[in-house]
Order: sequence, then structure tokens, then C-alpha cells
Amino acid sequence: MNLTLAQGIVKASALLGAGLCMGMGALGPGVGEGFVAGKACEGIARSPENASLITRTMLVGQAVSESTGIYSLVIALLLIFST
Amino acid sequence: MAKKKSPMLKIILIFFIVEVVLVFLSGNFSKQLEIGFEHGKFRIRHVETEYNLQEKITEEFQIDEYYSQHGKTPEIYGSKKLYNLFKFLSKFGTVPFTPMGTFQLLRMILIVDIVLLLMALFIRKSLARRPAKSQIIFELVYTSLEEFVTETLGKDKVNYTPYIVTLFIFIWVCNMIGMIPIPGFMEPTRNLNVPLGLGFMVVIVVHFTAIKMKGAWKHIQNYINPVKNPLCLLDIVGEASKVVSISFRLFGNILGGAIIILVVSSLVSFVVLPIGLTLFFGVFVGTIQAFVFTMLALTYIGVEIAE
Repeated sequence: MNLTLAQGIVKASALLGAGLCMGMGALGPGVGEGFVAGKACEGIARSPENASLITRTMLVGQAVSESTGIYSLVIALLLIFST
Repeated sequence: MAKKKSPMLKIILIFFIVEVVLVFLSGNFSKQLEIGFEHGKFRIRHVETEYNLQEKITEEFQIDEYYSQHGKTPEIYGSKKLYNLFKFLSKFGTVPFTPMGTFQLLRMILIVDIVLLLMALFIRKSLARRPAKSQIIFELVYTSLEEFVTETLGKDKVNYTPYIVTLFIFIWVCNMIGMIPIPGFMEPTRNLNVPLGLGFMVVIVVHFTAIKMKGAWKHIQNYINPVKNPLCLLDIVGEASKVVSISFRLFGNILGGAIIILVVSSLVSFVVLPIGLTLFFGVFVGTIQAFVFTMLALTYIGVEIAE
């Protein structure tokens, strides 16, 4: 693979951008999912008879709040593979 | 039991650690055990080839680009006649048509359809007054999803259950079928076109429901009449973002899981079989994402019915 200087700079900055995108995009979902799990723990401790319903709702909520991280993953993949 | 440590265990542990270090040192090699007959003799051989991880990922996930870059003839798993038909058809299109990826995707979707049909036939045949195991599992899936539908849409809208159950089972089988270790097998949801098609279908069903409930003119006025609905332009953008969010979530989860499994299992190819990874990214994430997709579709329908 022989690259000119300009192509090399573009490739390098795309890879750097992919790393930054993934790292920053993972912050929000991490905080959000932890928050949801903590609240679900509180709810189960308060009313253990609703545990299955709370767990189900928690999983769906986590999967929805994960989606911003997934978008950043898609953008990072685009940056890596399409430049 | 833990009092007396046998020396055998220590030896195995040391061996394991040494092997982990060795494998990480030789991470750029792919190792294969070749067993077979060659020139009339039985032969077991240990083949090592050097490869680039980036190229491996490109070969796995962007198959057309890989073969067009390297100028090789693609390895075809499955029917060659069907592939040649695709190649023949690709000459007529105005848009550049990619035969290999499309062929693989359509083959996997056909396999999923055959699995669904066989499932339906099998369950139908084994229906009985005293249920067998398979019947109990399917009744459990059906009744629990039906419960969700009646909770969200109300008792008189149970007729949406077949669509929801079909959506769930189709996406679930799609996510599970990539775990079968046959060359050329992949999850159809790993290609963006499949989740995007499913998302468009969901939005079409939502609007069909709204037109059926409220009448066509009343529903269209929501999007074009700024007096009645001041945020009508934002609503149009919202409809587009529904499709994007529901389909990119499924696509990104499955694709990210597949890439992580590939990278990790090529780094530690002989020591750790990627069973734990496959359990997490295949079974757990696949089931959760199929469930989330159906739940969101149900919620979108429920919003239109409640108004």
C-alpha cells in the first residue's frame, strides 16, 4: 500500500477521529446505563415482588439508551473503512 | 477438595500461561490444522500464514470491495448456478451491482425463511391436547407477546399480534443463525439493508394504522397544516428519524458484536475459544435487540392508536 503524504494525513486523522468518536460516544451510554441499573436495584429492593417486570423494563431502557453509543460505533466504522 | 493441590493442576496452569504469552506474541498469524488426504496419504499438517487484521475484517464485512481490490475470484459457498445468475443479472443494472455480498445476504435470508417454515410445519404437526416441550415453548412466546400487545393497544386490537410475533421470531432467528460455524454463514441483520427494510415496514404499518383509525385526510393534515399542528415540519423529520433509530440500533449492535468476536478470537486463536463472547454477543444481545425492536414497533403503533 503506497500512499502520498496527503492521503496519509487523511487516513491518520480519520483513524484518530474514529478513536475519539468511540471513546467520547461511550461516555454517555455508560453513565446512563449505570444510572438505570442503580434505579432498578432500588426498585427491586423496595418491592421484590415486581422484580421480573422491573428487570424487563430496565433491559429495554438500557438498550434504548445504548443507541447513541451504537451511532458513534457506526460512525467510527465508517471513518475507518470508507477513507 | 481445595486442601490438596495436585501437581498436575500446577503443570496445566503453567502450560496455560506460557501458551497465552506465546499466542499474544504471534498474534499476526492465522493457524490452521489441515487434515486430509494428499497424494494417497493421510496427512495432518499445521499451517501458519501471516495476515493483516484489517484485511481480514475487510474480507469478512466488505466482501465485494475485498475481491475487487485483490483481483481474486471469490470463494463461493453454496450453489454456483445461483451466483452465476446474479452475476449475469448484475450486467443489466444502471447502479453498480455487487454480486457476492448480495448473493450471500439473499442466501442467508432464504435459509432463515426455510428455518421459519420448517419450524411452523413442525409445530403444526406436533399440536396436541397434551402439549409437548416444543409446543409449550412456542405457546409461552406467543402468549407473552400477546400480553404485551393487549397491554399497549387494548383488548380490541389483538389482531396486531401475528405481525409482532413474526417480527420477533424473524429477527431472533436472524441473530442466532450467525453462530452456526459453517463458512459463509452470517447474520442477515449484519447488512444494513435488512434492518432498514424492517424499519421502513414498521413505519408503513404505523401510518396504515393511523389512516385506518383517523381517516386519511385528518392524518395527512398533521403533517402539512401549520395551523392545526405548528410543529408539522419537525414531525416529518421525526418520521425519518424513527426509521434511522430503529434500524441503526439493530444493525450496529449485531455488526459491533461480530467485529469484536472476530478480533478477539483471532488474537487468542488457540487458547480461548470464543464461546463466552458468542454467548454474550450472540444469544444475549441478539435476544435483547430483537425484543427491543418489537417493543419499539409496538410503541409506535400504540401512539397512533391512542390519539
